[in-house]
Amino acid sequence: MILLLQQILNGLIIGSTYAVVAVGFSLVFTVLRVINFAHPDIFMLGMFAGLWGAHLVSSNIVVVLLLGAAGAGLFGLVLEQVVIRPLRGRDVLMTLIATLGVAIMLENGMALIEGPDPVAYPTLLPQAPVHLGGIAIGSRQLANFALSLLVLGFASWYVRATRYGRATRAIAERPDVAAAFGVNVDVIARITVVLASMMAGVAAVSVGALYGSAWVFVGTLYGLKAFIVMLVAGNRYFEGVVAVALGLGVVEALVTGYISSSLTDAVAFCLLILVLYFRPDGLFGSYAI
Amino acid sequence: MVSWGFWQPVIIFSLLNVVITSGLYITALSGQLSMATAALAAIGGYASAVLTTNFDWPFLPAILVACALGAGCGALLALLTIRMRDFILKLTTLAFGEAIGVIAFNIPYLGGANGFSGIPLYTTMPDVVIATAIAIYVAWCFDRSRLGFAARAVRDDPVAAAATGISIAQVRIITFALGTVLVAGGGALSAHYVLFVTPSQMGFYFSLTYIIFLLCGGMQALWGPLLAAMLLTAAPEVLRFTAEFRLILYGGIIVLVVLWRPNGLLPRRAIGAPIMQTPIGSRHE
Amino acid sequence: MTGPLLTVSNLSVRYGAVPAVADANLTVEQGEIRVILGANGAGKTTIIKSILGLQKATQGSIRFDGAQELRSLRPHQIHQLGIAWVPEGRQLFNTLSVLDNLRMGGFASTDRATTERRIATMLERFPRLAERRHQLAGSLSGGEQQMVAIARALVSQPRLLLMDEPSLGLAPMVVRDVFALVREFNASGISVLMVEQNARQALAIAHWAYLLETGRVVESGPAAKVAAKDNVKEIFLGGHA
Repeated sequence: MILLLQQILNGLIIGSTYAVVAVGFSLVFTVLRVINFAHPDIFMLGMFAGLWGAHLVSSNIVVVLLLGAAGAGLFGLVLEQVVIRPLRGRDVLMTLIATLGVAIMLENGMALIEGPDPVAYPTLLPQAPVHLGGIAIGSRQLANFALSLLVLGFASWYVRATRYGRATRAIAERPDVAAAFGVNVDVIARITVVLASMMAGVAAVSVGALYGSAWVFVGTLYGLKAFIVMLVAGNRYFEGVVAVALGLGVVEALVTGYISSSLTDAVAFCLLILVLYFRPDGLFGSYAI
Repeated sequence: MVSWGFWQPVIIFSLLNVVITSGLYITALSGQLSMATAALAAIGGYASAVLTTNFDWPFLPAILVACALGAGCGALLALLTIRMRDFILKLTTLAFGEAIGVIAFNIPYLGGANGFSGIPLYTTMPDVVIATAIAIYVAWCFDRSRLGFAARAVRDDPVAAAATGISIAQVRIITFALGTVLVAGGGALSAHYVLFVTPSQMGFYFSLTYIIFLLCGGMQALWGPLLAAMLLTAAPEVLRFTAEFRLILYGGIIVLVVLWRPNGLLPRRAIGAPIMQTPIGSRHE
Repeated sequence: MTGPLLTVSNLSVRYGAVPAVADANLTVEQGEIRVILGANGAGKTTIIKSILGLQKATQGSIRFDGAQELRSLRPHQIHQLGIAWVPEGRQLFNTLSVLDNLRMGGFASTDRATTERRIATMLERFPRLAERRHQLAGSLSGGEQQMVAIARALVSQPRLLLMDEPSLGLAPMVVRDVFALVREFNASGISVLMVEQNARQALAIAHWAYLLETGRVVESGPAAKVAAKDNVKEIFLGGHA
């Protein structure tokens, strides 16, 4: 029983990172109607921005997180301006391809600088076992989890309780009507990309510090999962994306623990096929595209 | 002056890509723009390689098995995406391709991360030329056949197509299967030339290459994509001198080309209507 | 201020090769209710969307308040001039609450206090909505949704209200309420350009009417006169006065 709970907790922790990346992906998708293939690499960029910050500035955890967020956010801003905005109104395939090109450049560019293998990452926090009613968990894992939840909480608050957040949801549902009520879609689009990028940056630093390593190709690990989560959950409800991400993490953890670790990555795909076959719009529905 | 030793691989790779692109062209004619081409090719590669290497099968039967397996996978993909809207369909094939790569990564029998190697060198220039001729012929016949027209009808106006008695499901399944036969066959030939098949060649990045051939060549006629396949395969080989910057350049070129020709290099209808436009100026709901 | 509030001149809109609106001329005077009648596909919604900047016109001009050319503006800027929209089929933000929909109506103003006050006024005026203020807009009945759509448009205190088929899909009693409502806020100074198929009730409250046929304005005049015309009577009023 304890082992089961342990696995579930592990799964939730992994899932929480999936959730942060997936929510960012999903937000950009619903608001701008584009797949930003470079989003997972913005995640990676945030990770390295944090790393460089830790070496050049300070290894204070708050500073590193901020630098990671800033680095990712800055790149998101540039990406939106240079690649995504000019392709507005075009076939979405074009933006997908263009952002893929950016992703390739980012990954290989970073590989030239940092090398194609994992590099050491400052762990920023001491590791100490924390006991929650019989379950042992490292303080780092807990911190990672807490940070993800914090970011998700912020995103939820933004989307529900702020003027711009409401406008974001309005655009996701009916962009023409939103514009006709004074919403400058361009501005909101840009803010959304930057926010999604910053969220990814924070999550990335968190993950890097948790495992003590950063890898230029880490984006592909989280990117595909986040992408699948987005398709499975549908883009109508923010909470749906979070739920599916956490669920995926848990199922993966259970599969790893009880069946076999080589099947872990197949879980996501099976889920995708199953759900999309019966509910092509995703579990919680999507806005008409 | 560069020697035949330099040009032979370039030509072979180009022709193999022509074979695979013909397959993609067939599938795309029915509006199903498969983003899993590289993965499907690799499935053909793995299948034929296992048969020839581990079971000592002769080359031709192994290729045929690969093609059959390809047909099965193509039909399966078509079935899986039958209810999906155009965009989600593309995304699902994308996810499929990536996931197959991940699965192959984790199967020790197929060599895991390092891939399957030790494949005998069976593919020769004459083989490739014959295969290319067959592929072009098949695609050309399909293009002009009743099925080809039905496929275009399904792509352009599914409602009208259904009204004239065409079974959309059947057309989609058949074209996907047929296209994938060629794709998997090309993959099998490629595996017996390069002598290894790895999971890393199954990703979207590689599948995208074939889509770029379609985009650059245009979908109006078969020749466009095939020509693009030949030219664009040869070009990077010629650019080898850029070494470690090659991929960065490749990514940069993709970005620049898309920004330069944002409407695609061909009429929109051709690869499936742009069902999604970003907000404002478009008519939503 | 003299001169019409809105002047549409020689407006033409094409969807690709298909002309949706051809050389349309219409105006809205301050304080008036003007109605555009027409069958489905006549181009009525296209005109509305062109005014809002949601549809690109091929040629023509749309002037607000005499001077401001709307064709050079983006939709959110057009709204900020004082034009609000009650779209065809309501088009509420269904995943937002009633209250949030009203807040979206007031989005253009950064003065939260004023907006909240205006929303409170709306909720007083529509007690049924006040009851359901936290409900998701998509869960309301057709008539209630129409109230939300109108209230949402009124929150910004517009000078011109564009209404696209407000009676669509509503029960006759509700339709009556809606038109009474339109008359009510018109009396408080809001000008209205309404597109309608329900000619009888629309003509009853309108000052002026236009008849649109395949993208062209074929009739134009005071509402009563247009109502008396044979072609209007035949098509829209069931053949009798």
